[in-house]
Amino acid sequence: MRRSLIALACAATIAAILPQPSRAEKLVIAIGSRGYGQVVPHDIEGFTKANPGISVDWLKVSDVPNQTRQLYVTDFTSKSPTPDVFAMDIIWAGEFAKRGWLAPLDSYMTKDDLSKYNQSFLTAATLNGHVYGAPLYLDGTHLFYRTDLLEKYHLQPPQTWEELIKDSQIVMNGEHNPQLYGFVSMWAKIEGLFMNWLSFTNANGGGFYNAAGQVAVNSPANIAATQTMVDMIYKTQIAPKSILNDKPDDARTLFQQGRAVFLMVQDFVYDPLNAAGSPVKGKFDFMRIPYFAGHPDAHTTAMGGFLLGINPNSAHKAAAAKLVAYFTSHEAELWAALNANRAPGRPDVYKDPQIAHAGILPKLGADFDVGLVRPSGATGDLYPQVSEIMQLEVTKALHRQVPVKEALDSAQKQIEALLSK
Amino acid sequence: MPAMTVLDRRRHWTGGGFVLPTILLIALVLIYPVLVSVVQSFGQSDLGGTAPYRFVGLQHYIEIAGSAHFWNALGVTLIFAAGSVPFELVIGIGLALLMNESFRGKSIARLAVLFPWALPTALNALMWRWMFNSDYGVFNAVVLQTHLASRPIDWLGEPTLAMTSMIVVAVWKTSSFMALIILAGLQAIPGELYEAGRMDGMTRWTEFREITLPLLRAPILVALILRSMDALRTFELPFNLTGGGPIDTTESLSLYAYKEIFAYLKFNSGSALVVVQFLVVFAMSVIYIIALRRRD
Repeated sequence: MRRSLIALACAATIAAILPQPSRAEKLVIAIGSRGYGQVVPHDIEGFTKANPGISVDWLKVSDVPNQTRQLYVTDFTSKSPTPDVFAMDIIWAGEFAKRGWLAPLDSYMTKDDLSKYNQSFLTAATLNGHVYGAPLYLDGTHLFYRTDLLEKYHLQPPQTWEELIKDSQIVMNGEHNPQLYGFVSMWAKIEGLFMNWLSFTNANGGGFYNAAGQVAVNSPANIAATQTMVDMIYKTQIAPKSILNDKPDDARTLFQQGRAVFLMVQDFVYDPLNAAGSPVKGKFDFMRIPYFAGHPDAHTTAMGGFLLGINPNSAHKAAAAKLVAYFTSHEAELWAALNANRAPGRPDVYKDPQIAHAGILPKLGADFDVGLVRPSGATGDLYPQVSEIMQLEVTKALHRQVPVKEALDSAQKQIEALLSK
Repeated sequence: MPAMTVLDRRRHWTGGGFVLPTILLIALVLIYPVLVSVVQSFGQSDLGGTAPYRFVGLQHYIEIAGSAHFWNALGVTLIFAAGSVPFELVIGIGLALLMNESFRGKSIARLAVLFPWALPTALNALMWRWMFNSDYGVFNAVVLQTHLASRPIDWLGEPTLAMTSMIVVAVWKTSSFMALIILAGLQAIPGELYEAGRMDGMTRWTEFREITLPLLRAPILVALILRSMDALRTFELPFNLTGGGPIDTTESLSLYAYKEIFAYLKFNSGSALVVVQFLVVFAMSVIYIIALRRRD
């Protein structure tokens, strides 16, 4: 009796596990729930209504980027057919494409479709002329500043780094408060430091590549910009030495406690800074990252964000492409902007009259017009090592362990050797 | 030895049968990955498995020997182990002796001593990172308010200070582990020995040197080996406390291998690193065992 019960239970379990025969195509989409939690069900509902033959499951992946990356690495090395569609950090796109873990989108989308996305962002997902990801949402670095302090000293928000340094000194000298710093940011040896360095160097007409597209880390413009960073700690002394340990949230905490005039981090800090009870609520604003005098056209907003890509081993790539197009459509990204404060990856959404109801997003969007991306597209699978070399050498310079030129020369040499392998 | 009866033999097989699943499981999750790591360290393979495994001999090991990163990480690891384990031992013995005395509130004291050990290392590290924070950490608040320093001290931002801070956290956490093992050893020492010693007119110091310490040799050896192994493999502490910084002055071997394998996905050279690390730990264990055996 007992045996037959067990057999029955086993049979029932197996029947439940076995795939049900069905004509509907079933897709799995992997996205983290933070910030996009209410958008995903909404988009899935809209998509399945428009495409009755396709059903979509949401795989909620971790919001800790490294954990999600490891999950994907495991899935793709074992050639798993799911998830069919997955959200990836902008800096993974080049690497994944290079390793053959992404299906090119250009076979499913027209040039016209692809031209609707933020083009600067798209370069991070472009390898050998093929596009491998569609921008889902953007985030980026901005300059946050204390409106009350600037007003007190009759200062305008600084457009250039030269002005920012001068303004910081004016406020610091005027306040006589040893606890008040001019400038704080995320200069710990993390990815955010590399983003900072790219903002500074691009602001001076430099950058990771030169005009010919070659790696030019140790260009004179870059050396001068990096020297300005070093001087901000030791010479002009507007930044505390502890900036070299600060991660985004450490810097945000200082600014929120009223201990800094300027803060340069990503836009996620806006909500906590503006929350009820925040000491700086109503006393701050933000703007694009400054440029160096003479370079008003420089792109200085270091962009991050997520893209949607298609698993090359998916059994339903055409359906997956439809899902990607739907999630990154004008309507879907507008809805995410209005309901979840996610900055759209399509410039046309910022021109939509409805976007005026999306709080600070139109303002954020303007800063993305001067957006820059990290060299993760072209360096592909080697990007994590490129970033590590840059973080290490720039840190050495910021600690004054070696002169700026020596650090950047060394970085240039190491990166050239790495990329020529 | 008498011949096995049928019953004995059957019991024998039954026992083996019960143990077999465990052995298989261990082989699957422990021995197999270790073997794969060793094999990977001598070859070059593609992550996706598109290119077949190619034997490259010692190539990865030669690269490691020529890598400044590796020597830095090895140096950091050895300094950390040499800086933390002796302090842990001395403090551990002290704590064990204290806990072995009888006094009021002894069980509470024992609990308090065990507390740091009970907390996960990662949590410890995050907690201390806040306390060390140069701008709003408790240490600088004390140091500044008592005028011991006029400017905030960058506890985790200066190379020597960062390593010292890391050692302090390790000592704080693991002295209690040492104490626990040594306490077990202390309680196994028969009281008669001390009585005899007292009759011979021993002072407490000679008692400690002539009775306690020699009889504690085995537990001390065990504690030393376990702690040194842990110190040579330290990962969560630098990962969470300093992130290997400033620059790379607290980047331990494990942290370096982690980056190599999980950030750069270089499984082959990463495996070679792990094998080298294993050899370092193994050599250390052998040295300990020989050194302590020779004295007997």
